[in-house]
Amino acid sequence: MKVPMQWLKQYADVPVSAKEYEEQMIMHGTGVEGIEDVAQQVQNVVVGRVLSVVKHENSDHMVICQVDVGDEVLQIVTGAPNVFEGALVPVAKCGAVLPGGKRIQKGKLRGVDSNGMLCSGPELNVPVDLYPSVGDEGILIFQEDYPLGADVRPILGIDDQIVDFEILANRPDCQCVWGVARETAVTLGTTFRKPEISVRGVPGKMDDFVHIDVRDTDLCPRYVARVVKNVRIAPSPMWLRRALHGCGVRSINNIVDITNYVMLETGHPMHAFDLAKVRNGHIVVRRANEGETIVTLDGKERALSTEMLVIADQEHATGIAGVMGGEESEITDGTQTVMFESAAFDHANIRVTSRTLGLRTESSGRFEKGVCAATAREAIDRACQLVEMLQAGDVIEDVVDVYPNPAPIRVIEASVQRICRRISVDVPGETMKQILESLSFGVELNGDTLRVTVPRFREDVEREADISEEVLRIYGFEHLGSTLLRGETMPGKRSAHMHLTDKVGRILTGMGMYEIKNFSFVSPKLLDQLRLSADDARRHQLRLLNPLGEDTSVMRSTLAPSMLQTLSLNQSRGNEQGMLFEIAPIFDPDAHTSDGLPDEHQMLCIGAYGPRVDFYTVRDAAMELLRQFGIACEVAPAAEPYHHPGRAAVLCADEAVVARVGEIHPDVLESFGLSRRALLAEIDLRAVEKLKRPMGEVKPLPRFPAVTRDLALVMDETVPVGTVLASIRKAGGALLESAEVFDVYRGAQMLAGQKSVAFSLAFRSPERTLVDEDVNAVMKKILSTCEREYGAQIRA
Amino acid sequence: MNMHEQLQQIQQELQDQLRQIQDSGALEALRLKVLGKKGSLTQMLRSMGQLSAEERPAMGQLINKAREDMSARLDEVARRIQEAEKEARLRDEALDVTLPSSGAHQGCMHPISMVIDQVTDVLTGMGFEVVEGPEIELDHYNFELMNIPKNHPSRDAQDTFYFDENMLLRTHTSPVQARIMTTRKPPIRIICPGRVYRADEVDATHSPVFHQMEGLVIDEDVTMADLKGTLDVFAKRLYGEDIRTRFRPSFFPFTEPSAEVDLTCVACHGKGCRVCKGTGWIEVLGSGMVNPKVLEMCGIDSSRYSGFAFGVGMERIAMLRYGITDMRMLYEGDLRFLSQLRAD
Repeated sequence: MKVPMQWLKQYADVPVSAKEYEEQMIMHGTGVEGIEDVAQQVQNVVVGRVLSVVKHENSDHMVICQVDVGDEVLQIVTGAPNVFEGALVPVAKCGAVLPGGKRIQKGKLRGVDSNGMLCSGPELNVPVDLYPSVGDEGILIFQEDYPLGADVRPILGIDDQIVDFEILANRPDCQCVWGVARETAVTLGTTFRKPEISVRGVPGKMDDFVHIDVRDTDLCPRYVARVVKNVRIAPSPMWLRRALHGCGVRSINNIVDITNYVMLETGHPMHAFDLAKVRNGHIVVRRANEGETIVTLDGKERALSTEMLVIADQEHATGIAGVMGGEESEITDGTQTVMFESAAFDHANIRVTSRTLGLRTESSGRFEKGVCAATAREAIDRACQLVEMLQAGDVIEDVVDVYPNPAPIRVIEASVQRICRRISVDVPGETMKQILESLSFGVELNGDTLRVTVPRFREDVEREADISEEVLRIYGFEHLGSTLLRGETMPGKRSAHMHLTDKVGRILTGMGMYEIKNFSFVSPKLLDQLRLSADDARRHQLRLLNPLGEDTSVMRSTLAPSMLQTLSLNQSRGNEQGMLFEIAPIFDPDAHTSDGLPDEHQMLCIGAYGPRVDFYTVRDAAMELLRQFGIACEVAPAAEPYHHPGRAAVLCADEAVVARVGEIHPDVLESFGLSRRALLAEIDLRAVEKLKRPMGEVKPLPRFPAVTRDLALVMDETVPVGTVLASIRKAGGALLESAEVFDVYRGAQMLAGQKSVAFSLAFRSPERTLVDEDVNAVMKKILSTCEREYGAQIRA
Repeated sequence: MNMHEQLQQIQQELQDQLRQIQDSGALEALRLKVLGKKGSLTQMLRSMGQLSAEERPAMGQLINKAREDMSARLDEVARRIQEAEKEARLRDEALDVTLPSSGAHQGCMHPISMVIDQVTDVLTGMGFEVVEGPEIELDHYNFELMNIPKNHPSRDAQDTFYFDENMLLRTHTSPVQARIMTTRKPPIRIICPGRVYRADEVDATHSPVFHQMEGLVIDEDVTMADLKGTLDVFAKRLYGEDIRTRFRPSFFPFTEPSAEVDLTCVACHGKGCRVCKGTGWIEVLGSGMVNPKVLEMCGIDSSRYSGFAFGVGMERIAMLRYGITDMRMLYEGDLRFLSQLRAD
């Protein structure tokens, strides 16, 4: 919220520098984004009188002017079409600075010396509504007489500092000049001077002008109206225009400007109706009727719902209460009788209406945050006072004020000692009293008890905790001590899940992988890219009601596609190879927690590509990871739709699938823009958590020697070696200490469709040294098993 | 040639040949030639039969002496040659130790994971327990119990992704605190790290997905100075002993009083720089004393217990710590970024 310093200073002195002011306000609870020094942007621009205008010989549009700036006469060449002898104009002298940092220097224009520049409004950042001039085309011509050589800034209203406040959500009372002036006075220890508000008024009855019927007082707790007759629509005076300009509001005319000025000053949105255009002089405040529509000030027709509050005449809605007025009753140059409205509306209702219609205005923003009903009358009187001050019309002395249930005055009993304990700063009761009184609270101090009467505009202060905050922020946060927690010693610890993911991270980074984090929501189209069938369970995705876009509209049901996207990005950025992993939940709308929330299933996804990785690299990484959790897996061929059908497997333990590993199907590679083979492993961390086993005890080192045997078996190409190995281990029994594959041979010496697999076996007994007979017996059993189950023969 | 002369000749020849020998193979051949079964000295011993019985013992002694002598010489040369051969092998095996090789490679955790880990270390050391909760939450835990009723303007500060009227993506990790407060009795001392979501478009400083760590302490007689003390330790452990905290009044619906907490700028240590926009302070945390309303809504006796809460954005910490200027780098997964990281 922008507030011109000069306006602020009308109500509170600021006897410190801008920097100091900003600092002090921030440290006492009023955010300041910055203070813009508008005056610094224009320098050395003065009032000058054009003495003569002579045509430039080498130009058909330029003229040479002699300009009296008080202490000298300057020759200035200009192209402005509206310059004339005797005109009073702003003159940027040599060395002048204009907005945007432009500097004016001595120069020649088509061979003629020019010692300065005559300025237009836009060149000085002075819009037409701030200083009425001839528009953007020509030089700004002063409308009144000013001394030659005088600084133009105060004349044009650009000599101020603009404070940009950042008001906290609980302080709607500070969304106005009075609000920040009050905080300024408390913060700097000066006095808040609220102007005396009085309206002289002329005799008259409201009934003669308007009939007001507030039907839904639940949504409109207060409605105040006053009427001004004999309205004289005119431009506002300079002080009013510059005040609005400083706040970033355009000046329109005196009546509209007054409504805006009062809103900025008091925080009360104010609406002005042209009463001649209010049918039969009836104003009804009610919920919209079924199917009702309205054309708002912005010219759009809008459909209303029955929960929206409207301002209507006897027949139909003419404005949306608190949000936007209707076109019909707008103030125009011909307006003769005006009705001001100052109301309070239910903030939640305004919020819903404004969101539903997608219509956010200055007014709706204020009502949403909360406009105090108690001060609505004061605001409308301020508007009427300004009407009288500006002689913009005659204010009728009568007032309509519908306020059936004034909110009770809030009184809080607080304990000085409890407040001190909460904020852990010893503030004497007397000091608390002073602080609260400076903030307009009523305070009675009785021993330890503070009886605090909350001012009407502080609807945020409800209980002792709120009082403690008021005391501390004004007393100063710098008084806060620093102590360590006392009380019962508590054992700090990580969660089980964190222990698991920490360990996964240590293992995988040790294998050279990098952790990534992808967004939890993705495009539903990714599942098509994955070639998932229409009835795949992963097609059940949770959809956001209000996603940022289609690409981030559904919660992930698998981590695979975002990993493939990341691999694709890395390939496209020229990264030769990569091994990445992500730990994140997938969301299943078909499974629910006890709260009825969708199941969040923690998964790990590994993705890899590059010259040094293949299916086995990723499979072994997954298996080694699982082994580190004490989970021994069986590998079985099985492919997902996005896998290469011959290069994919599931890892199972306890009959549950713990991981799926595979090379990516070429069609899927293509759909993700991957030019090289890529691999994925998806590991179910919930299963890992369930199946993991503690490390347990180590075995003693063997005391007897091992006997080793190599075994080469010829078998069909289709026989999976891992399965054979498992059978060998089983058949080998207790004496077979280890069995490994050390060679697979296919080629000239083999029949077509056959392979020779060489195993290295080690036998050992913990009790004795084995002799050949022992080993031969086991070898025989192994061989017969392999022959029976796989038709395998010893290689000749 | 008599046997004496013959013996002398054998010794002389051995001597001559030993001088020329360079490798252990040739040496072994020489040994065989002289001392082997068919070697010249062995032959001599065999031809001793030709000698008279008187001459034989003396000659035998002489030959044996010569045999020992020659054997010793051969051994000595053998040792020399072995040594030379070993040295030659070591010379041959020398590597260009500067030659790069693909070798060992360690990956790295994501920067967010690293800072979560560091902050967790500091706070678990102070007795905080890590608690996690669901990312998809009920409005009840995310907002209502945090004193942010429906249609309240403070919901504006947290643009929310909804699934339906009651179900949403959590906008902070506070719902985890609410879940703990409604199920456990004080004393409570927890931290809640995790992913949170707000409907912000992606740019250099915003992301719709980000990470928070929130802390909550509830006990008898917990004061705001305890909050400051805890955060002072947090700041010093994380950034160094010279880092101080500055509390500024603020507003959060779930705390009263509320404070924004600035830290001494970690880039310039308070001198003023680009990172802190010249102020010497950087805004890092939100905090405050738990609003008694929140305690009461969660079923905790607010006349007996008080507490404090704080929240830190992990992206902010990571970006400050690792000099990351664009938040998008954290979510892109580009290895040119990731491979610059190492365990911290």
